[in-house]
Amino acid sequence: MKHFAANRMRYFLPVKTIIIITTIVSIIGIMTTAFKSKTIFPIDHAKYLDKNKDSIESVQAFMKVYKVLMSPRCVNCHPAGDVPLQGDDSHLHTMFPKRGVDGKGLYAMKCANCHQPTNTAGLHTPPGNPNWHLPSADMKMVFQGRTAHQLAKQLSDPKQNGFKNKEQLISHASDQLVMSAWNPGEGRSLPPMSHGEFKKAWVTWINKGAYVPK
Amino acid sequence: MISLNINQKEYQIDVNPDMPLLWAIRDIVGLTGTKYGCGVAQCGACVVLMNGQAVRSCVTKVSRAEGQKIVTIEGLSENNKHPLQLAWQEIDVPQCGYCQSGQLLSAAVLLRENPNPTDQDIDDAMAGNICRCGTYLRIRKAIHRAAEIQQKGIKNG
Amino acid sequence: MAIWLGVSDRGFAGKMLNISEAKNFTPYILVEASGGITIFNIKPEMGQGTFQSIPALIAEEFEVSLDQVTIKQSNGEKELGTQQRAGGSSSIRTNYTELRKVGASAKEVFIKAASIKWQVDAGSCYAENGKVIHKPTGRLFTYGDLVEEASKLELPKEPKLKDPKDFKILGKSIRRPDVPLKTNGKAEFGIDVQLPGMLYATIERCPVIGGTLKRFDASDALKIAGVEKVIEVERIMGRYHSIGVAVIANSYWTALQARKRLKIEWDTKGFETFNSSEYENHLRSLASEEGLIDKNIGSVDALHLQPQNMVEAFYETPMVAHHPLEPMNCVAQVQGDKVEIWTSTQVPSTITGTGANDLHKYIGFAPDNIKLHAKFIGGGFGRRLNIDYIIEAVNIAKLISKPVKVIWSREDTTEKGPYRPMTFSQLKGGFSEDGKLVAFQHKVISPSYQEAMRTDFDKTKADGIMVEGIGEQAYEIPNIKTSYVRADFHVPVAAWRSVTSSTVAFAHECFIDELANKAKKDPLDFRLGMLSKSSDLKRVLLKLREVSNWDNPLPVGKGRGIAQWEFFAGLCAQAVEVTYNPDKSIKVDKVFAVIDLGEVVNPDNVKNQVEGAIVMALGAAIKPGITLEKGMVQQHNFYDSPLIRINEMPEIEVHILAEGGKVKGVGEPGLPPFAPALANAIFAASSKRIRKMPFDIGNV
Repeated sequence: MKHFAANRMRYFLPVKTIIIITTIVSIIGIMTTAFKSKTIFPIDHAKYLDKNKDSIESVQAFMKVYKVLMSPRCVNCHPAGDVPLQGDDSHLHTMFPKRGVDGKGLYAMKCANCHQPTNTAGLHTPPGNPNWHLPSADMKMVFQGRTAHQLAKQLSDPKQNGFKNKEQLISHASDQLVMSAWNPGEGRSLPPMSHGEFKKAWVTWINKGAYVPK
Repeated sequence: MISLNINQKEYQIDVNPDMPLLWAIRDIVGLTGTKYGCGVAQCGACVVLMNGQAVRSCVTKVSRAEGQKIVTIEGLSENNKHPLQLAWQEIDVPQCGYCQSGQLLSAAVLLRENPNPTDQDIDDAMAGNICRCGTYLRIRKAIHRAAEIQQKGIKNG
Repeated sequence: MAIWLGVSDRGFAGKMLNISEAKNFTPYILVEASGGITIFNIKPEMGQGTFQSIPALIAEEFEVSLDQVTIKQSNGEKELGTQQRAGGSSSIRTNYTELRKVGASAKEVFIKAASIKWQVDAGSCYAENGKVIHKPTGRLFTYGDLVEEASKLELPKEPKLKDPKDFKILGKSIRRPDVPLKTNGKAEFGIDVQLPGMLYATIERCPVIGGTLKRFDASDALKIAGVEKVIEVERIMGRYHSIGVAVIANSYWTALQARKRLKIEWDTKGFETFNSSEYENHLRSLASEEGLIDKNIGSVDALHLQPQNMVEAFYETPMVAHHPLEPMNCVAQVQGDKVEIWTSTQVPSTITGTGANDLHKYIGFAPDNIKLHAKFIGGGFGRRLNIDYIIEAVNIAKLISKPVKVIWSREDTTEKGPYRPMTFSQLKGGFSEDGKLVAFQHKVISPSYQEAMRTDFDKTKADGIMVEGIGEQAYEIPNIKTSYVRADFHVPVAAWRSVTSSTVAFAHECFIDELANKAKKDPLDFRLGMLSKSSDLKRVLLKLREVSNWDNPLPVGKGRGIAQWEFFAGLCAQAVEVTYNPDKSIKVDKVFAVIDLGEVVNPDNVKNQVEGAIVMALGAAIKPGITLEKGMVQQHNFYDSPLIRINEMPEIEVHILAEGGKVKGVGEPGLPPFAPALANAIFAASSKRIRKMPFDIGNV
C-alpha cells in the first residue's frame, strides 16, 4: 500500500494551482516592479494590463506634446550639444556658456550669474527663474533633432528621463521651470498652445499608455 | 533703505529695489571700477562677485544683492597683488582697460574653481567677457601665469 | 619754484623753442626744486600705449627713467600746443624726433646749469637718472638742485640726440605705467567722473537717422521721483544736425526709466523710406559711371588687351560700428560764460582750440573759457574724433546750473552712428601676351567721408580719403587707373580704425590674388615679381615669407593666404592659415604679421596693437555689419551686432621690422591686410573666392 500511495502523491501535483499561483505571483511581481523601481508600465505589456489604453488617442496626444517640446522655449534648454540655444531661431547662445557637470554652467558663466530669479525687464535681457539650468551632463535629455518616435521613447524611459515614474512624469508638466516657457519675457514667442492644453495632451499621452509614434 | 555689503563694508542706500546693482555701485556708492558696457549681460564689463559667483550687475537687482557678500574689482585684493593682477601687470594685458575689471573677476572665479585650467577651460570661463581692443591672447597667457603664481604662493605657504 | 620747460615762470622770452616752422615748442616737462619731475603726454591714451611711449621719447633723451617721473595726460592746454590729438596712427611717427629733441634740449640746459655752478666745462659733465655728474670729480646735482640756474638759460635749438645703442627705454618692452591702474579699477574713464551735485542725463534721439524732433510730452516722465527736467537738445556732427529729448535725473537709471515714458513725435523728413539694401543696389548701378580720376599712371585706356587676358571683379564691404566698450559720454558744467568739460576724447585740441571747426564754434563759448579734463578712453577707434556728444552735453549744461553727465546707452551708441561707410570696388586687371600684369584699375564707389564732415567739400574732386592707398601700392604695374564714384548718403559716417583702408585693401589685395591665380603663380611670388626694385614692401614680404614658412606646403584641407597694405598709417603684411573642414566651415588657425616701423618705442606694445587690430579686422570680416530698414538702424547691442570673443581667437605671431628710415605708425596698419589674407587663405583651402564682407566662415 505504501508504494501505491507514493505514486498517487507524485501525480497529485496541483498543475492548475501552480499555473494560477504563477500567474498571480507574476502579476504581483509586475505590479511590485511597477511601484518599487519607479518605472512606468513597460510599453509592450501596456495592452494587457490596463483597459484604459488607447494607442491612437495616446499617439495623437503625443503629437501635440511634440509640437510644444520642439518649440524654441523647450528645445533651447534641451540642446544636443553642451551649449544652450537661444532665441526664436534657436541659435547657439551668444557667449557659449557650457552645460557643466550639473547643468548649471561653469566658472564665471553659471546660468544664475545672468539669469535672475525673475525675468529681467526689456528686450534681449535674460529671462529668469530661480532654478535656471540645463539637464546635467549624465542625463542630457536632448530634444534638439529628435523625431517624435525618438522623443517619446526617451521621455518614457526612466533611464533617459531623469528616473521619473509615471506620476513624476505627469507632474513635471507643472514644474516651475517648465512653466516659465509660458512667461518667457518680452520679445520671445510662446509655445504653440496654452499650458493648459499642453498639460492635457501630456497627461492624455501618458495615461493612455505613453505610446510611441512610429 | 537697502543694505549692501561691498568689499567688506556696509552701505545703506535709499534706492528703488529694482535698480540694477551696477548703478547702485557706480552712481550711489561711488565705486566706478565696475563698468557699464551693454546693460544686457552680453559683455561682462559689469561682473561683480556675489557670494563668490560672477554675477552681471547690470541685470541683477539691488534687492537680490541685499545682505549678500559683494566684491568689486576694488576689493579683489588689498594692494593690486592678487595673482591675476600681478600676471596682468607682468604681461601688460590691458590696452584701454575698460573691460578688464570684468575680465579679472571672471578669471578669479575660474582660478578658484580650477587652479590649473587648460586653454579650453579658459575659453569656457571667459567667452562671456568682451574685449573690443582684442587682448584675448594676453588674457589667456596671463591666466596661465596667474595659475603659476598662485601655485607658487601656495607652495611657499 | 618750478620750471616749466619751454615757458619759464617769468614769461615767454628766451624759452620757446621752435621745433619746426609749423609747430610751437610746448612745455612738456615740469621740474620742481623739490626734485619732482612731471612729463605731459599730449596724445590721449586709448589703449594704444601713448601714456608710456610719448613720455618715453622725452625721458630717454632727458636721462630720466619713467619710474622717476609722474606722467600726466594733457587737457588741451594752450601751452601744450595744437597737436593734442590721437588718431591716424600718428602719435609716434609724427613726433619721434621732435619729442626726443624736447628731452635732449632740456638735458643740455641742465648740464649747462651744473657746469656754471661748478665753474667747469660743460663737456666734462654728463646726465644720468635725473642727475648731472661732473666726471672728473664725481660730484653731482639733481635736476631739482639746478632748477633756478637752468631757468635762466636758453634752450638749444638743435640739441644732440643720443646714439640708439645707448637707449635705456626706447626699443625696450618697458611695462606701461597705466596698466596697474587698469587692474584695480582706479583708472578713471570719462564715464566714471563724479562731481558734487552732479546730475545724470539720457537722450532720446530720432530712431530714423536724419530725422529730428517735432514735439514731445514729458508729463509721465516727470512723475518719476528723482527726475529734474526734460528738455530739447541739439546734436551736431559735421553737417548733421538733429534735435532729441534729454531727461535729467539724480541717477542714470532713474533717467532711463523716465525716458521710456516720453511721448515724442518725430519729423522723419522722408528718411523713413530709406533701406540700406536698396541703397547698395544703387551703389552697384553706379559702377558703370566713369567717376572722378584719382590717379592715372601710364595709359590704361590706350591699351588693347586680349579679353582672355583680362580679369574683372566686384567687391563689397559693409557699414560697421565702432563699438568702443565705453559708451559715449560727457560731463559738462556751464557757469556764466565759462564751460568745464570732463570726457574721453581723442581730440583735446579740438575742444579747447580756436580753429574754425573746433568746439567753440558749435557751443558759442570763447576758447579761453573752455576747460577740459581729459580722461582715459575706453576705446576710441575713430569714434571719439567726433565732438557731437560733447556738444550735446554742453547744450544741456547751458540750461541747468549743475554739472550733468550724459551717458549714451549701448543701444544709443550702436543705433545713432556715425559708421564706417560701405565701399564697393570695381577691379580690372590685364595681362600682356607674355603674361605680365600691365594694367590695373580700381574704382571705389561709396559715400564720401569728407562730404559728411566738412561743409566746404569740393564734389568735383575725388575724395582722397575714400581712395586712400589704392593708387600707391609699391607693385610695379605700368598702367594704373584709380577712380572714385561718390554716392549721396544721409547717414553720418566716420573714420573707423584704418579708415577706408579697412575696406579697399580687402578688394585690392583679394584681386591681386585673383590675378595671381590667373597667371598661375604663387600669390607671394606674383607680388614679389612686381617688386624688382628695393622697397619697404619687398623687405616686408620677404620677411613674411620666412617667418610664415610660406614655402613649406600645408597638409590637405589647410590653406594659406597672404596680403599687405601700405597707407598713411604704415605698412603691414600678413599670412593667414586656415583649415577647411568637411562640414564646409573654416577655422582660422594662425596669423603671421610683419609690421614695418622704422623705429620702435615699445615692441611689446606694438604686438598688443597688431593683435588687437587683427581681432577687430576679423570681427568686421565675419560678423554682421550695420544695416538700415525704414530709415532705422537694425542693430542695437552685442546680441545682434556681435564682437569676436576669446573662443574665436586664432594664434597670432607678430614680427617687427625696425631697421631705420621713415618712422611708421602702429595703431592701424595691422587691420587692413587681415581680411584679404583670410579670404585668400580660404580660397587656397577651398577654391571658393569670397568677394563680399561679411562672410560666414561657418559655411563656405
